[in-house]
Amino acid sequence: MLLLVSCVQEEQYNNTPEGNFEALWTIVDEHYCFLDYKRETIGLDWNEVHSRYRARLSEDMTNAQLFEVLAEMLSELRDGHVNLYTPGDIGRNWSWYEDYPRNFYADLQNTYLGTDYKIAASLRYRIFDDNIGYVVCPSFTSGFGDGNLDEVFYTLRTCNGLILDMRNNSGGDLNNAERLARRFTNERIHVGYISHKTGKGHKAFSTPEKQYLEPSDGVRWQQSTVVLTNRQCYSATNTFVRDMKCCPNVTILGDQTGGGSGLPFSSELPNGWSVRFSACPMYDVNMNHIEFGIQPDVATSITDEDRLKGIDTLIETARKLLLQ
Amino acid sequence: MRRRIIFDILYLVLSISSFPVSAQEGRNTSHATLVGIGAVNHLDTYLSPLNYKGPQLQFMHETLRYTRWAQGHISMQSIWQGNIAYTKSPSEKGRNYGGDINYSIGWHYNWTFPSNNEAPRLRILLGPQLGANAGVLYNTRNSNNPAQALATLHLAASAAVIYRFHLWKQPVAARYQLDVPLMGLKFSPNYGQSYYEIFSLGNTDHNVCFTHPFNAFSSRHLLTLDFPFRQTTLRMGYLCDIRQSHLNELKYHSYTHAFMLGIVRHLTIHKPRRHTPEGFIL
Repeated sequence: MLLLVSCVQEEQYNNTPEGNFEALWTIVDEHYCFLDYKRETIGLDWNEVHSRYRARLSEDMTNAQLFEVLAEMLSELRDGHVNLYTPGDIGRNWSWYEDYPRNFYADLQNTYLGTDYKIAASLRYRIFDDNIGYVVCPSFTSGFGDGNLDEVFYTLRTCNGLILDMRNNSGGDLNNAERLARRFTNERIHVGYISHKTGKGHKAFSTPEKQYLEPSDGVRWQQSTVVLTNRQCYSATNTFVRDMKCCPNVTILGDQTGGGSGLPFSSELPNGWSVRFSACPMYDVNMNHIEFGIQPDVATSITDEDRLKGIDTLIETARKLLLQ
Repeated sequence: MRRRIIFDILYLVLSISSFPVSAQEGRNTSHATLVGIGAVNHLDTYLSPLNYKGPQLQFMHETLRYTRWAQGHISMQSIWQGNIAYTKSPSEKGRNYGGDINYSIGWHYNWTFPSNNEAPRLRILLGPQLGANAGVLYNTRNSNNPAQALATLHLAASAAVIYRFHLWKQPVAARYQLDVPLMGLKFSPNYGQSYYEIFSLGNTDHNVCFTHPFNAFSSRHLLTLDFPFRQTTLRMGYLCDIRQSHLNELKYHSYTHAFMLGIVRHLTIHKPRRHTPEGFIL
């Protein structure tokens, strides 16, 4: 009886290389939401990872050596939302964009924006000579309000089409992503699913709940839209692209997005290092994982020839598509 | 001299913070206002697997009065309790800010020993108590799990022992009170559920949990000593507040140990034609 009502405690690991290693491995084992999915897709065996990296520990290893082991272990997850934060470095796996063509060059984008573009919070926009609206959204971290969006879409209201350049937007606040996407639908639409872990088990998930996109009460875009994407479209931007795929008259053009469909949580190790990991998976409208990205409707890359000529292949392809 | 100044300042502050005494006909009412300082040990595995420790400030206001029920043997006690805490992880790199406010109201049946004595030395109180708690625990460096909301409702068993004696010819009352929640409701996100999903998307998943001693064994211990000081009564005490839960596979505990000091103001009105119990604290 007394045991049943005893103290509620969590195992406290020692601040040693072994203690920090076990703490990190356990955090991922109990909380990371893609262990089962990545076992199926990339052959990840988290228990085998434990054995392999545990063998690299020694009692007298330095912090730098410990960081190297722990960061490499986390890299096995191939997840941009997984990081190990230390005072001197951040453990990461950014192969989701580093291993692929950039499909974005700031100098090219600046050529198209010119100098007389408008700025609405973090959005930059202008109208091209062929009456195509062009909006650059570089981040969802620094927000914009509905007032900003009303001004942008009211200014562009006479355009024949819209290019929404999301390239190199690596995410931020999901509410900002949703605020922008709501301008592209006139009715409530089903865009995907979200679930969360309900326990420590690798298969312990809640029943996925439908996610809907509600139409904005402000100015809504009614013309055709092309969303430009590259591999650096990540996290909240990945979710934005998922939502836009469900909106009418929207074409996704460019490269596959980088992915990152797990809402990240944080935890920490006994030595004070902080760890971030994907905790809540989101899916597309057909319950497919989008952790490794979303395919574009029109796959296009910036060619070397165009780049030398100062032409952004993605923008030009989008203009042709909109003027057809 | 310095000690006297400190006592004078404390007396002034606590007198100002005390609620005005209000007595109803034929009833004894006491108001005690206490402040305290102590240490707290926090664990909330939604935020971190580590125990956070640090100082905590406590505030408590207690009102105790007799009712006319059961021939005056039932007393009613209400307690407002608040605290704020600043705690650190073992490495001192993680920081939590926490605070909550707790209200409880209880009804105790009183047994006195000796029972025929107008000023019994020993009093035993036992009865039910209703409690509510609301607060937050905020971690300064987490991303989508930066804070944990605390919200509970519970029915508790409450018991107290009051013993009156004289020390250096001064009347003194010692009291020990124990409150143990027996059942209740507590808010909790599910194991890996984000507040974004709960509040932005409106998805709930076992977020209001039934609590009982086997999944949320908690207890509040209060040991106090009341003694006269000038024209009033001072109270010093020790508070041990243990709150725990293991819900949705998330573990939570808050262990508080605090030294409390405050002032007691009590009033007894005797009406000759009506039975009125004797002063019950001092």
